[in-house]
Amino acid sequence: MTRQEIEKEIRAIFLREFEVENPEPDVNLRDAYGFDSIDAIELLMEIEKYLGTELTQAEKKKAMDIRTLNQIIDYVQMLADHRQTESEKN
Amino acid sequence: MTGRRVVITAASAITPIGHGRKPIIESLVNGKSGVATLRDDHFVSRFIHSRVYGTVGYPIEYDFSRQHRKTMGPVSYYACQVAKEILEQAGLPRDFVTGGRLGIAFGSIHGSPTVQREIYRIFFNAGDRESYQGIGAVDYLKSMVHTTAVNISKMFGITGRIISSGTACTTSSQSIGYGYESVKYGLQDAMLCGGADEYDTTTVAVFDNLLACSTAFNDRPGETPRPFDRARDGLVVAEGAGAVMLEEYEFARKRGAEILAEVIGFACNSNGGDLILPNLDGITKTLQLGLENAQIQPSDVDLISAHATATKMGDIIEAQATGRVFGTSPRVAALKSYMGHTMAACGAVETVLTLYMMQEGFIAPTLHLEEIDERCAMIRHVQKLEETPVKTAAIQNFAFGGVNTSLLIRKLT
Repeated sequence: MTRQEIEKEIRAIFLREFEVENPEPDVNLRDAYGFDSIDAIELLMEIEKYLGTELTQAEKKKAMDIRTLNQIIDYVQMLADHRQTESEKN
Repeated sequence: MTGRRVVITAASAITPIGHGRKPIIESLVNGKSGVATLRDDHFVSRFIHSRVYGTVGYPIEYDFSRQHRKTMGPVSYYACQVAKEILEQAGLPRDFVTGGRLGIAFGSIHGSPTVQREIYRIFFNAGDRESYQGIGAVDYLKSMVHTTAVNISKMFGITGRIISSGTACTTSSQSIGYGYESVKYGLQDAMLCGGADEYDTTTVAVFDNLLACSTAFNDRPGETPRPFDRARDGLVVAEGAGAVMLEEYEFARKRGAEILAEVIGFACNSNGGDLILPNLDGITKTLQLGLENAQIQPSDVDLISAHATATKMGDIIEAQATGRVFGTSPRVAALKSYMGHTMAACGAVETVLTLYMMQEGFIAPTLHLEEIDERCAMIRHVQKLEETPVKTAAIQNFAFGGVNTSLLIRKLT
């Protein structure tokens, strides 16, 4: 799962679920698009669907400090890499 | 206890007989019914004996952004739309709207049953994680009992008090009454008041199982409900919303607001007994308390908007109580005859319709009242359209649970 693939999917989620078209990568999503805590919870559910796995409570709590699109992409990349590593171990 | 004068500066409604002033007045004048065949809900509607429903059968163009839509069930669409319309009509300055002196009194009978049904569908089918995830993060916000009031507060940035009565058929008459008291006693300078209920077959099923719904006119939905008529056979559940803006009189006058009417009195009590059966003494007391609160005589009232759902006993008890308190002086109109029972919205809807009639100088007859039930004959029924000034009106509403309200309004001269 490349960073470009993740970015494409996250942008698609933003358009489909939050009606935000082409969000700027480094702006505060709340300030720029009114992206609030309710949206954040919905986004986590979309990320779970995208990754095809459940997020742990600890992983979800880490997401609460995220403010920008780039941070979301970093976060999903981290989750995907972690799952890849775990999968290779097994 | 005296207080400040309270006036109505805006009114709107979404009803089975139209949305807003002009279409509603046209329907009232032309005797048009908004009752249609019950829509299929792909759930319980096929089991319901009553095949009639007060239907909002026209499109409504909503202009709500996703930021607001995401916490709104269907009931909040109705609520926010009428709230938007009366905020525009009233023309209150933006800094006042957000400044804490405008509050909200708005409710529904139980939030959004459509959303609740989806939650329960998942709940009873949940066997895996995927179905569990179907319960959305915002489903509670969409379906909770005060969802209408808080979605209005969020959409328009209103920061005053929130009152969200959930007393079934007296929900929005309480909204207006408690809003009136909030302004009268200086707790707020204005209150946005009303109620809404969405299309919902579970409510129909409850009344249907109580044998309280109309069934004899399933093939002629436009001929029921028939309040006070000998052939009445029960109520017709309906959907809709109604809202009014209340303001302190001097505040409204100084800013040059159009004043539609003054709220001069409100009373609410409970029967303290049976939760379903209408109670003659309880209702009689409510009507007396309303007049006392308004400090007027029964003969001062020109028009009574009766609760009159068209159930056998409900109409008889209301007619008897009304006759006891008012005699035969005021004209009595049963507005549910046009659209059925809009549940939480009915008090506000009937207040809005009464305001329209007051402004236009006519009284719409009780539709389908062809042969008055002799047990309801002790009051002055309106059976044909009357062009007559209406200066003072009483709006009566009664609810399951034994809750009664009486609201009195007067046209300013």
